[in-house]
Amino acid sequence: MSDTILRLDRVSKQFKGQYAVKDVSLEVERGQITGFLGPNGAGKTTSLRMSLGILTPDKGKVELFGKTPGASTLDRVGFLPEERGIYRRMKVIDVIIFFGRLKGVEAGEARRRGLKMLDEFDLLHAAEQKVKTLSKGMAQKVQIITTLIHQPEFVILDEPFSGLDPVNQKALERIVRAQAEAGRTILFSTHVMEHAERLCDKIVLIAKGNKIFDGTVAEALGEVPRRVHLETTSEQNLLELLAPFGEVRRDDDARDGSHCSTIDLGSGSDAQDVLKACVDADVKLTRFEPVRAHLHDAFVHLVESHGHGEEETA
Amino acid sequence: MRAIYLIARREFLSYVATWGFWLSLASVPLFMALGFGLPILIESSQPTRYYVMIDETGGRLDAAYRASVEESRQRQAAEMREAVSEMVGDNPQITAALDQQMATTMLDDGRYVRLDPPATDVDGLKPYLLGERLLDTAEGEMPLFAAIYLRADAEGGIEIEYWSTNLTDGGLRSEIRGALRDYMRAERLLAAGVSGDMLEAADSLRPVVRELNPERAGADAAVTASDRLPVIVAIGVAFALWIIIFSVVNMLLTAMIEEKGNKVLEMMMSSARHHEILTGKLFGVAAVSFTLLAFWGLLAFGGGTLAQQAAASANMPIGDLIGAIFNPGLLVPALGYFIIGYFMYGAVFLAVGSLCDTLQDAQTLMSPIMLVMMVPLFLVMVAADSPDSPIVTFASWVPVWTPFIMLARLPQDPSMMELVGTTGLMLGTAIVVIWGAGVMFRMGALNQANQETIKNWFRFGKKQNA
Repeated sequence: MSDTILRLDRVSKQFKGQYAVKDVSLEVERGQITGFLGPNGAGKTTSLRMSLGILTPDKGKVELFGKTPGASTLDRVGFLPEERGIYRRMKVIDVIIFFGRLKGVEAGEARRRGLKMLDEFDLLHAAEQKVKTLSKGMAQKVQIITTLIHQPEFVILDEPFSGLDPVNQKALERIVRAQAEAGRTILFSTHVMEHAERLCDKIVLIAKGNKIFDGTVAEALGEVPRRVHLETTSEQNLLELLAPFGEVRRDDDARDGSHCSTIDLGSGSDAQDVLKACVDADVKLTRFEPVRAHLHDAFVHLVESHGHGEEETA
Repeated sequence: MRAIYLIARREFLSYVATWGFWLSLASVPLFMALGFGLPILIESSQPTRYYVMIDETGGRLDAAYRASVEESRQRQAAEMREAVSEMVGDNPQITAALDQQMATTMLDDGRYVRLDPPATDVDGLKPYLLGERLLDTAEGEMPLFAAIYLRADAEGGIEIEYWSTNLTDGGLRSEIRGALRDYMRAERLLAAGVSGDMLEAADSLRPVVRELNPERAGADAAVTASDRLPVIVAIGVAFALWIIIFSVVNMLLTAMIEEKGNKVLEMMMSSARHHEILTGKLFGVAAVSFTLLAFWGLLAFGGGTLAQQAAASANMPIGDLIGAIFNPGLLVPALGYFIIGYFMYGAVFLAVGSLCDTLQDAQTLMSPIMLVMMVPLFLVMVAADSPDSPIVTFASWVPVWTPFIMLARLPQDPSMMELVGTTGLMLGTAIVVIWGAGVMFRMGALNQANQETIKNWFRFGKKQNA
C-alpha cells in the first residue's frame, strides 16, 4: 500500500483565463497532519476541490489513494468544505445518519456512531433537535461529525477554523489532534498561521496559485533569518561592529533616547556571538532580545521572496 | 446508485413530512369541489325576490307573459337535455331528473316570486318598494323587490313600467321584456294573416343533425358522445400534465435555492457526484409527484365508483370516462410525456436554482422561461378544435411544448411521422438539456456561475454595440 494518500502532480486550473492554481505539486503522506496555507484567493479551495475530483484540473494529474478521485475513493475521505451548511430542517441525528449512509455506513451503525460522537462533542442533548435550532458553533460541530461519521482514512478540512470563536477554535484543534492520534491523515487549509504552527507536521504554502514552500514547520522557520533586537545608550557604530554576524539595520530611537537596531543573523552566526561582540566592545546594552521566528514571519518572508507580496494573512 | 437513492429518499421525505405537502394534496380535490360547488352555492344563496305585476289590459298581457315564460322554460329544458345528451349520451333517468328540476323552478318557485299586489297604484306600492312596509310571504315578512305595470297603447304597442330600488338585478326585467317581445311579434304576424298553427309550426322548426364519421361504415358511422370523450380526456390530461409538471418543478427550484442558501451543496458534492445529486433530486421530487397522482387517482376512482352507484347516474358513461382515461393509448404516452417533460423542465429548474441565492434572483431568470411555458396552455385549446392548424403542427415540433400539445392531439390520430419525429426531437433535446443543466448545476453549486453569468450571455450583443 502506498504511503502517499494524495498526490497532485503539476496541476493547473484556470477560471475565465486566470490561473487559480498553476503547476502545483504536493503530496500528503499517511498519518501526517498537513497544513495547506495561503492567503485568501491563493488557490487553496480550488486545489482541495481538485483533490476530491469535484473540479477537474486543466493540466496535471491528481491521485487519491493512488487512483483518480472517484466514488470509491471518496468514501475513504471526509471533507469539511469552506462553505459550510447542513439541512436546517432535519434533526441533528438524521443529518448525521444521512451523510453517513451517503458514505456507505449502514443506517443503524451510523446512528450508533452518531450518538457516540455527539456525546463526545457534548451535543447528545441536541440529537433530536432540528439543526436550525443550534448555535453556529454547535452546528459546526455537527458538521464535523458528518465529516467523520464514516471513519475516513483521510480528512480534508477547508478553513475549518473560520467563523469559530477562540474557545471553539481550541476545541477544533483538540479534535484534529485526536483524529491524527487515531491514525487518520489530515489535510487542512487555513490562512491563520498559528493553527498550522501548532498542529502541522508538514506545511504547503501557496500564493496566487503558485506553490512557494513545501516542508516541515521547522524547515519553514529555517527560511526566516533569526533576529536580535538591540537597544543601546552608547554611541558605538553597531552597523560596523555587528556586520560580520548578519544584516544590521538601524531602527527609530526609543522614547528615552536609546538607539535601536535589529540584526538578521547570517548563517553560522547566533545570538551568543552578537552578545559577546557587544560585551567585548563595551556596548551599553539596555535591551538584548533574540526573537523566535513564527510561521507567520516565515510565510511573509517566503511570499515576499517569491514576488507575491502584499498578501493578506492573519 | 446508492447516492441517487439516498438523495431521492431524503428529498421525498423532506416534502412528505411537511404540512405544505398534505395541504397541496388536499387542495386539488378541495378546489375541484369548490369549482363545482361554488356556482351552485352562489345560485342557491341568492335571495328570493318578491314582485307584483299589475296588468292594466285586463289580463291579456299577463296571460301572454305567463305563456311565454312557460314556453321559454320548456325550450331551455330541451336545450339542456340536448346539451347533456351531447356530453353523456341519451339517458332517460337524467332526462327525468332534469324535467323535475325544471318543474321546481317554474315562474313562482324560482328566484322571483310573484305576489298579489297589496295596492294597484304606485303611491300605494311605494312604501313596500322602499321597505317601509313589508309583505307577508312564505319566508315571513319581506320587502317588495319590484312592481311592474303592463300597458297597451292605441297603436298596439306595449309599455312596461318597472318600479324597483334595485338597479343591478335586471333578471326579472329582461325576462318580462323578452316574453312580451315574443308576444308582440306573434300578435303582429297573426294580424298580418299568419295562422296560429302556422306560427306554432314555424316556431317549432328544428333541423335534424346527424354527425357521421367517414372512417366508419353503416350504423357505426354515427358519431356518439363516447367518440368525443377521448378528445376531452386528452385535453384534460394535457392540462393536468402541465399543472403537475410545473407544480413539482417549482418545488425543485425552491428546494435548490434553499440548499444553495444553506451552503449544503458543496458538502453534498464531496459525498456524491453532481450528476448523482441532480438525478437524486429529480427522482425524489418525481416520487412526490407520483404520490400526488396516486392519491388524486384513487380519489377520482373512488369518486367515480360512488357516482356510478348513485341512482341518478346509474347509466352515465362513467365506465366510458374511466375507460378513456385509463386507455393505454393515452395513458402510456401521457406517462412518457410526463417523465420526459418533467426531467427536461426539472433539470432546467434545478440548474436555475443552483445559480441563485434567493428567490428574487431566480425570478429574473424564470420570467422568460415561464413565458415559454405558458404557450402550450393556449395551444392545447387550439389543438382541441383544430388539430390540423399550422400553428399547432409547428408547435408540436418545439420540443419543450411537445409533451403537452402532442398529448392533446393523440386522439385525433397525428401521422406516424409526426409522432416519431416529435418524440425523437423531444428526447434528443431532453438529453442535451439535462446534460447542459448538469454542467450549469455543477458550476452554480461551486459558485463558478450565477444569474449574472446567464444575463451576460444575453448582453453579449449589446456590449459589442456599446
